[in-house]
Amino acid sequence: MTVSRRDVFKSIGTGAAVAAVSATPLQASSRNPQAPSDAVGMLYDATVCIGCKACVAACTTANNLIPDTTMSGGIWQMPEDLNAQTKNIILLAKDGERSSFVKKQCMHCIDPACVSGCPFKSLKKGKYGIVEWDPYKCIGCRYCEISCPFDVPRFEWTKFNPKIVKCELCNFRLADGKEPACTEVCPVGAVKFGTRANLLAEAKQRIEANPDKYYQNRVYGEGDLGGMQVLYLSHLPFDKLGLPDVGTESRAHYGSKVHGVIYKGMAIPIAVYAVLVAAIKRRYKVMEEEARLEAEKTGRPEQL
Amino acid sequence: MSAETHHWHRNVQVFHSKLLTAPYLFWATLAVIGLTLSLGRFFTGLWFTGMNDDYAWGVWKTFNVMTLTALGSGGLAVAFFCYVLGKKQSHSVMRAAVASSFLFYATGMLALSIDVGRPWNLYNMALPWTWNLRSSLFEVALCMTAYVVIFLLFENTTYLVDQAILESEGTWRGRLRKWVPFMKKLYPWMVGGALLLPAMHQSSLGALMVIAGHKVHPLWQTQMLPAFYLIQAVICGFAAVLFILMSASLAWRRNLDVPVLSAMGKYMAWTSLVFVVARYVDVLVRGVVGQAFQANWYAALFHVENFLVLLPALALFNARLRSIPRVLFVTSILTGAGGVLYRFTPTTLAYRAGHPSVYFPKIAELLMCLGYIGLAVILFIWAAKRFAILPATTSEWDKYVTFLKSKNPSLRINEHGAATDN
Repeated sequence: MTVSRRDVFKSIGTGAAVAAVSATPLQASSRNPQAPSDAVGMLYDATVCIGCKACVAACTTANNLIPDTTMSGGIWQMPEDLNAQTKNIILLAKDGERSSFVKKQCMHCIDPACVSGCPFKSLKKGKYGIVEWDPYKCIGCRYCEISCPFDVPRFEWTKFNPKIVKCELCNFRLADGKEPACTEVCPVGAVKFGTRANLLAEAKQRIEANPDKYYQNRVYGEGDLGGMQVLYLSHLPFDKLGLPDVGTESRAHYGSKVHGVIYKGMAIPIAVYAVLVAAIKRRYKVMEEEARLEAEKTGRPEQL
Repeated sequence: MSAETHHWHRNVQVFHSKLLTAPYLFWATLAVIGLTLSLGRFFTGLWFTGMNDDYAWGVWKTFNVMTLTALGSGGLAVAFFCYVLGKKQSHSVMRAAVASSFLFYATGMLALSIDVGRPWNLYNMALPWTWNLRSSLFEVALCMTAYVVIFLLFENTTYLVDQAILESEGTWRGRLRKWVPFMKKLYPWMVGGALLLPAMHQSSLGALMVIAGHKVHPLWQTQMLPAFYLIQAVICGFAAVLFILMSASLAWRRNLDVPVLSAMGKYMAWTSLVFVVARYVDVLVRGVVGQAFQANWYAALFHVENFLVLLPALALFNARLRSIPRVLFVTSILTGAGGVLYRFTPTTLAYRAGHPSVYFPKIAELLMCLGYIGLAVILFIWAAKRFAILPATTSEWDKYVTFLKSKNPSLRINEHGAATDN
């Protein structure tokens, strides 16, 4: 195929225009994401939790949610799982004869899949690394629900103007100098609030003080799925607690590995476009000429 | 269907047929029901659907958009083979391909705008600073919109302009004809975009499920998803064009150009072979091939998807078999079914494998899903009867010109349909 230099430049020029309008330089997430310097978080120790659910009630009150009483027939707050009325829940996990409570809320991932997938930056890492939701940008596509490895974001299925409901680490309370409602109310210190660095150090001290008490002698969330700002200690295997034990690569990184390369700087799509246009031009010229001759010969009008 | 061959040289509308037939009214009814319910959705929210927090995406996204736009990739498949690989004989089916692509995509995007919970916030599309360039879904949203609104629309103006020139009078005809050289100049650039953009967003549709990680069954969860979705779009594109052309020929008693269909069958077969081989290599390389041979539904589904595509391909590799219209018709249906199944599975059937929660669309949700398909079908039938989008022989064209002149004797065209007021 012969392509003149002028053709290539013309192609690149148009390619760039098309790129600016229609194409997107999807960037890859980093393989080893770093927690923001001001990262706060929580440390939940499943061996301490007594399952009193004070944190569930406190969360509902602090966040002005209507308690979910469906299961109890309207008497008690009894959510089955996280839902549009429940940002924080205590669940019972079982592993054969052994059991444990587990607290479930947003993990405030360091490299969150939901933030990576959200088409209009409605979900983003805000102050202190908290994953926050912006009602003015959310189109309600629910891709965050597909991408979250922990099934945290929930959608108000019954509402006309549905919101995405998820723990935002009581960021409005932090602004008032208070700690999150769940950590404040916990009577046994099973869940603690603090900077991520301090909590991680404390978790490691607990493991050191009690070797073999904790599963794999490690802190879940230190590096799992790229690391989280909420950390877990447990005596049961993490996957029994609903914490997928699937390596240290963040979903955001896993999900953008291929696109991160293909769309880097739009170089590949622009090059592909240039080649396509050059090839098409060559074919089209021949076809156009054939159509013209055909029309001349038969007297039938040319069709575009 | 006879195997007698007639060459498709031109595109001619279905000019001897009434619009309001029984099948048309059937699809129109579905469309009206679907669209009425869609309007109702703006007063109710989404509670009436079968979707839930575990299956946050229902058929509108997973079927109407993520699956049916594969069948709507005829414009991509045919244009690539015709304009890039130089298989010129498939040029006669380009219009049918781009018209069907436009309708599959446009109705899919309609479904998408109904599906989102806060459609009033879609204005963010116009605010580049809210765009998340890391998001595959954003890539799909922007790229699909640009493809439909700029490139597919342009490709679909070809027959509109032709028709307008044919049927218009004096000054208008002159004005329109001045557009033609301009359109021809633009054409390669537009076709290039109409290849690049669907290649981008069809692969991004596959990328959507990559980020879901362990939630998608290991037989489907792979970094190859974008490539598989794109290859499958080409396969489904050919299957859909073959099916549409042959159904149209059956329904309106038009001649078949077997060599053209047969060639498309061959391209479809080769692409299918690439797909199936790549899928088995993929599970081997990732070391999950064992899961494909367990006694469960997922393993069965995996092979069914592959064999629905592979068996027709094996038949189509035989030159004698692929010159039999009946074989082409049946293989296009089987291949299309396999492709549709593959594109649907990672989003729904293999999504949350082993999880206790279920999703099944509610009646209203299904009616809306069917309504969007019905809308595409009636618009296609309408377009086929009003514009020259279906390929035909030159004798069909001559009959059409006679018909046109008998309807409007003052039309300034000669017996070949050429303008006489040059």
